[in-house]
Amino acid sequence: MAGETASRGFGLGRPGPRASLGVVWTVFVARLKIISRYKGAILLESFLPVIFAGLPILLGTAVAGDEQTAATNFFAYTGTTCPSTDAARCSADFRLYMLMGSNTFMVVSLMLWLIGYWVRREQETGTLEALYLAPAKRLYVLAGVTSYTLVRSLIAFVTAMVIGSFAFSVNPLRPPFAAAIGFLVLGIPALWGISFFFGALVMRIKEANSVIQLLQWVLAFAMGIYFPVTVFPALLRWTAMAFPPTLMNDAIRSTLLDISSIYGPWYVVLGLMLAAAWTVPFLGYAFFGVVERRIKRDQGVGQF
Amino acid sequence: MAAPIIKVEGLSKTFISKERKKGEPKRKKEIHALKGVNLEVADGEVFGLLGPNGAGKTTLIKCLTTLLLPTGGTAWVNGYNITSQEDQVRASIGCMLMGDRGLYWKLTGRENLDYFGALYHVPKADRLKRIDFLVDLLRLGDFVDRTVETYSSGQRMIVAFAKALVNDAPILFLDEPTVTMDVPTARELRKIVKDMNEAGKTILYTTHLMHEAEELCDRVAIIDHGEIIALGTTDELRRSLETEDVVQLEGIFPEGAVARMRAVPGIESVSAVSMDSGLTKLDVACRDARAMLPKIIEAVTGNGATIQFIKPKEVTLEDVFIAKTGRTLSVDTRVVGEKGARGRGG
Repeated sequence: MAGETASRGFGLGRPGPRASLGVVWTVFVARLKIISRYKGAILLESFLPVIFAGLPILLGTAVAGDEQTAATNFFAYTGTTCPSTDAARCSADFRLYMLMGSNTFMVVSLMLWLIGYWVRREQETGTLEALYLAPAKRLYVLAGVTSYTLVRSLIAFVTAMVIGSFAFSVNPLRPPFAAAIGFLVLGIPALWGISFFFGALVMRIKEANSVIQLLQWVLAFAMGIYFPVTVFPALLRWTAMAFPPTLMNDAIRSTLLDISSIYGPWYVVLGLMLAAAWTVPFLGYAFFGVVERRIKRDQGVGQF
Repeated sequence: MAAPIIKVEGLSKTFISKERKKGEPKRKKEIHALKGVNLEVADGEVFGLLGPNGAGKTTLIKCLTTLLLPTGGTAWVNGYNITSQEDQVRASIGCMLMGDRGLYWKLTGRENLDYFGALYHVPKADRLKRIDFLVDLLRLGDFVDRTVETYSSGQRMIVAFAKALVNDAPILFLDEPTVTMDVPTARELRKIVKDMNEAGKTILYTTHLMHEAEELCDRVAIIDHGEIIALGTTDELRRSLETEDVVQLEGIFPEGAVARMRAVPGIESVSAVSMDSGLTKLDVACRDARAMLPKIIEAVTGNGATIQFIKPKEVTLEDVFIAKTGRTLSVDTRVVGEKGARGRGG
């Protein structure tokens, strides 16, 4: 029957790269517009990692008696070494370790949280079905959403670093800072991939809250936000180390604090991060596609 | 008939659902929402799809718009297969399937139209022109630059309708587009639908309002229990019941009156609808109304019934629907009265 009827209307041709990028850009801008119309949303979430970092610092100080002892104990018993012989510097690095851990956790958590809630909200408001009625490829729509989650996470990251640096009297702007940020950026594609997994999961089970609540804490635990995962028993340690956010977190911290990475020399860390950046997004998108197909065979994406 | 722009061949869809009865273990249950539907919609026609809730019309539309994968059979929309050429199918259609849902409430109407226009790959310059055209056509100017959250439900519906038109697709799927609209706006929308059709668009229109179907549709399909049970122009469908006369009675009828009437030889079917006034309306289909009238009156008045109004009635699309499905469409899926010999699928 193909070709029996004349095609009219826009968009029947194969969209070129420009049109596809246009979809990414449109989705990205729309998400930013929407969040900007909820006053204060981005600023408020930036305080979270500062509070999260404060908890272990105060707990460590309370247990050890003073912060310097807490820092010395921490670096001694977690298999890392304090990069400085200066006790005061050691304390600052202890604070920076916690701040970087909780801040990286916030980036990871926020990206998953935002994609999970995005899927759920779109389901509930009927816009997910509207998206599935449009010919734009899902990849570009997801790219637009994940670009938004990235920008929002990075805004929160930078704001939290500024607030945290003042609150804890630490200076992250030391020479390896650019390399640490490089590792953060290199870790993003793997986070996108995990976001696709997570989004597919929420779309399938149609519930975001319980999944997010559970994963938040599993994530915090597995990433070793307050400790290196070397303190875990062997099986748990290897499982945690296979998790891309753990790799990203360790790479950022070991670079910034000049401590040894649990994964080995820097080129091993770099190689692992490149491998994760290359494979995880493809796996995540493939998983999303499989789940999407299954949903369309069952009740359809409009069911919520 | 012009060449079909939508062609459906043996389309079936089975859902597996879990039945949860109190005190019993959960059981899987198969629901056959579509049972081998065959259908052709001609290029340039307005095609009405009528059916009570649960009849399968939404499932059919969701399959045709690629939202659902069929279990069996297939279909082509604008020449593209719904399972192997999904993107081309989507690019060929404009849809209003969820009423006023499917809009971003924190964006303005214009931003929503721009957003969805981009998802349909409408070039930016064309998009802006198209949106301006739609704003004028649908008179959205007063509110299109406010966020959707501030709209009335009627305003949301009209913007959702504009969204369906933003890609200027050759085929429109409109699922009860006038629900929640006030009477003048609904009338205006129907006029625009007619104009769009005259401009060459094919329209697949579902509605619960018979007068809409009669006013707009070139052909109508009645779907029930996953099957097309009647198909034709509105005149053809009406003529299919012309062997019967319909007598309409309004009044107060005692319990069992309908059953007694049904038992009268010569009466084909009886349907009853409770009206807001407290009265009941009976539509009695029979072979020869003139000869049957005394028997009809005798059957209902035996037990103290009061007849307030009686008249012969022309066959309407609603009568066809009742005769085919045993239900009225105006009150949705309420089963009315007793079904006569011309039951479902008849």
